[in-house]
Amino acid sequence: MAVTVTIPTALRQYAGGNASVTLAAGSVGQILAALTEQHPQLGKHLYNEQGALRSFVNIYVGDEDIRHLQGIETPVPDGETVSIIPAIAGGAGSIHSW
Amino acid sequence: MAIILSDHIRTIIAQHAEETYPDECVGLILGRIDGARTEVKDVFPAPNRWTADVGLTAVDANHSLRDRFYLDPRDYLRAEREARSRNLDVVGCYHSHPDHPAVPSPRDVTGAQGIGGGSRFAFLIQSVREGRATELTAWTLDDTGARFVAAEMVVECGT
Repeated sequence: MAVTVTIPTALRQYAGGNASVTLAAGSVGQILAALTEQHPQLGKHLYNEQGALRSFVNIYVGDEDIRHLQGIETPVPDGETVSIIPAIAGGAGSIHSW
Repeated sequence: MAIILSDHIRTIIAQHAEETYPDECVGLILGRIDGARTEVKDVFPAPNRWTADVGLTAVDANHSLRDRFYLDPRDYLRAEREARSRNLDVVGCYHSHPDHPAVPSPRDVTGAQGIGGGSRFAFLIQSVREGRATELTAWTLDDTGARFVAAEMVVECGT
């Protein structure tokens, strides 16, 4: 009973350089807890001071954002992939400031 | 660190930025990180899915695709799968600054929090002026993630 958690490039430095980690199946919360237990430095990048997932961290189970499922209670079946996806946004300043 | 890309890749980014002008474009870059070298092997153009709903602050309501971009996580996921299937990684992203210099804005710093400091994840910025692509610059976040620092970019011709 195992699931795969993929680690985005930017966070691999906090996960022993691993592109993915294999963990026991369970809920998303349980899996992420096991992940951060193995790689404690990942914790502060995934969770805020209140212990909630940071707003710019997206967790997908298969093709679905857990925000549209059951959040961290979302069950992850054996063989499924959990993807940690960073949000990226930005843009120029005032459009007349060239 | 140095970011190595071909003239062909640079052209694809420039063309994407011109196609979406006056709106900003966005995409991911695929490649390999080898020590201090990031080799760009391909790009993954993505739709700019910014709306006021995905804004990080209330002032975003006054903005538009002309000065904002948002890379939908679903597009990142597609790019990551594409990269893995080719034994590559998502090693950075690019976006354009229409009628703005190719210099990171404070907004770019805010929007890069998901990447965080201390990684080699590259940010390429393509300036477009009056519809024509001009300079392309490369940046990485410093260790704190609070500011961008310029990265060396090497464009290899004929590859």
